[in-house]
Amino acid sequence: MNVRLLAPSALLIASTSALVCAQTQDFGKAYSFAERKAQTKVEVVIDRLLPSIVKVHGASGLRTIDPTASGIIVSKQGHILTLDQVLLQEGRTRVVLFDGSVHQAEVLRDDPDFGVRLLKIDPTAVEGELHPVWPPMDEGPLFRTGQVVVSLGNCFRLAEFSEKVSATFGVVVGRANTALRYRMADVKFQGDLILTDACNNPGHYGGGLFTLDGRWIGLNNRLLDSKETNTMISAAIPSRDLVPYLEELIHGKIRVEATTEVKPVWTGIVLFRQAGQQSPPAYVDRVIAGSPGAIAGLRPDDLIVRVDEYSIRSCVEFGKILEKYQPGQKVNLTYKRGTEVKQAVLELAEEKK
Amino acid sequence: MSTRLHVAVALAVASLTLPAQQGVDPDELLNLEPVLLQAMQKAAPFVVTVETFGGARKILGADGPADSAGPQPPRPQPPKPKPKPKPDDEEERPKPKPDMPLAQPGFHQTQGKTTGIILSSDGWILVSRFALNFDPSTILITLPGGETRYAERKGEDTSRGIALVKIDAKDLPFAEFVHPEQVQVGQWAFALGRTFGLEEPTVHIGIVSAKRRQFGRALQIDAYTSPANYGGAVVDIHGRVLGVAVPLSPAGRDAGVEWYDSGIGFATTIADIPEIVDKMKQGEVLHRGWLGVQLEMSHLGPGAKISGTPKDGVAAKAGLRKGDIILKVDGTVVQNGPHFQMLLSSRMGGDPVGLEVQKKNGEPAVSLTVILADTPYEERSKGQGEELPASFPLPEKK
Repeated sequence: MNVRLLAPSALLIASTSALVCAQTQDFGKAYSFAERKAQTKVEVVIDRLLPSIVKVHGASGLRTIDPTASGIIVSKQGHILTLDQVLLQEGRTRVVLFDGSVHQAEVLRDDPDFGVRLLKIDPTAVEGELHPVWPPMDEGPLFRTGQVVVSLGNCFRLAEFSEKVSATFGVVVGRANTALRYRMADVKFQGDLILTDACNNPGHYGGGLFTLDGRWIGLNNRLLDSKETNTMISAAIPSRDLVPYLEELIHGKIRVEATTEVKPVWTGIVLFRQAGQQSPPAYVDRVIAGSPGAIAGLRPDDLIVRVDEYSIRSCVEFGKILEKYQPGQKVNLTYKRGTEVKQAVLELAEEKK
Repeated sequence: MSTRLHVAVALAVASLTLPAQQGVDPDELLNLEPVLLQAMQKAAPFVVTVETFGGARKILGADGPADSAGPQPPRPQPPKPKPKPKPDDEEERPKPKPDMPLAQPGFHQTQGKTTGIILSSDGWILVSRFALNFDPSTILITLPGGETRYAERKGEDTSRGIALVKIDAKDLPFAEFVHPEQVQVGQWAFALGRTFGLEEPTVHIGIVSAKRRQFGRALQIDAYTSPANYGGAVVDIHGRVLGVAVPLSPAGRDAGVEWYDSGIGFATTIADIPEIVDKMKQGEVLHRGWLGVQLEMSHLGPGAKISGTPKDGVAAKAGLRKGDIILKVDGTVVQNGPHFQMLLSSRMGGDPVGLEVQKKNGEPAVSLTVILADTPYEERSKGQGEELPASFPLPEKK
């Protein structure tokens, strides 16, 4: 009886003291300044890639343009890729490496096709080696929707002085195709963009988007203002699309650029225009006899809703989209007649003068 | 005994010093990726793109004349409700314009694409009412294969932020819905949208934050919802639909848009409202039910004490007067005023409600059945927040 009573109470005392011990022990651990080694996949990949990300500081002065960005080291010769929508001034551009060292950077070139900019620092001034990243060159998709990603960059310029850049975590939300890209403001890059929910803010632009096996898949773009939804979207330029540009500048390969004379096109479709601020939907008012529109079979009161993959929501948009085409080109026209949705091929003619 | 004590101490120490993390793989969370892809593949065939054209582009907050664009749809407008008489002490407020699109000031809605869910193989499609805010003249649905069809607008439920459209089709893949009672708080919730691109839906991940929100009408989720996926399916790990992402908030109207991407999102549940869906298929426009009583909040129960019945209200017509105490709603004993509001808030206009009312002290209670009216526009625009305070005094238990 005595023993029975004693044992549980002893157990209670013992466990209480053990609990106190454990707590002090944990408390000590929590305040240990010894850095813990990276263990999980996310930790490992961030640990490995942080040395490849730099902070870029440009000129200050204009409040409307960010003077701070992030950059990715793309060559051992000191080439650094960043976004061109950041105010950088020749002679005043500084790059802060992972180790906190500050280097003067030369602005090599802006590329309006991609909206990116290449910087170069003197590799001999760097202690140790630079850690460049390079887009994965294997076949197969670069990324897929739902893929877990890590985004690295100097979010809101939080990393001051020698502080390390921020890492954010998320998934690939989707792919913004060319047609959608048209409905976003401020995108120079013409291809598909990677949409992600990993945090991307001013300062983070020019940083990198990586998969958990350390593949560099994207260059953080500006937050995009979508005309489609009137919301802000985090996006990145797929890294593989930047290869021609990088190869040209780093390895001296020359890109052949085709220049074409822009000729306005003519369809013979006259849209129903209405006075007012907003442009009305693209209803056909009349179709000129013998014109490409007439040949395609369009009639008054048809509603044009799509040209190829571009959504047409107004008369103005119809005109704007056609500016992308050349006379002689054929486009797939989707239109609504009554309660039916029909398709037609429209061969664009040259505008008569 | 001493041995026992030692064993006990050793056991206690062992169990307490073992770190909680041991035996748990921190990378376990990343196994979410294949699960997510599987759920997406399952759900992608019934998630469609909704496009609207034309309509009255009126934006809330702009007092100028409505900017009309395109031919107006020959759509019957819901009857304009009569303004509710105001108590004398209440300050005159500017009346909101009836039938304005229910967009929020501060958020400028653009007439972009939204998302929809295929409800049945014969072409019933569930969309967000947000998509129809412009009162469009043309609605087009693009199926996952890329085929575009003309859609006819059918009924809607303003309290749930959902609407139905119908396309001419057969043998479409359609969604499987999960009954909200089967949903567990904390379970994975993936919000799919088809606003950007057609090949695959966009995805946001999160969990179910709460059940029975918006008076039993919706789940609360923390996956990002925004105009980019309103109308989209919020699915579980098996690709079954938990609900439809819509902008909602207790502030009534189509509010909630201002909460986009905030980590507070709502998914209207569907599996529990087959009769509502049937009514919507008939083209009915459904609203929250309205009894037309004002309650005395100082009355802490039992029952809900009426402080006023607006003229033309259902309650006034049924003979309810100031000072009456409502004791039961459909047999459920009413604890207090807020409980009474809670019981009524889930009801729709046209629903019959059985009330048991105490007219005078000492006299037996009167039973009556009333048919709720549609909530008048003024009431809806005022928001439910005013009717139901966020916090209210709880009756003291004796």
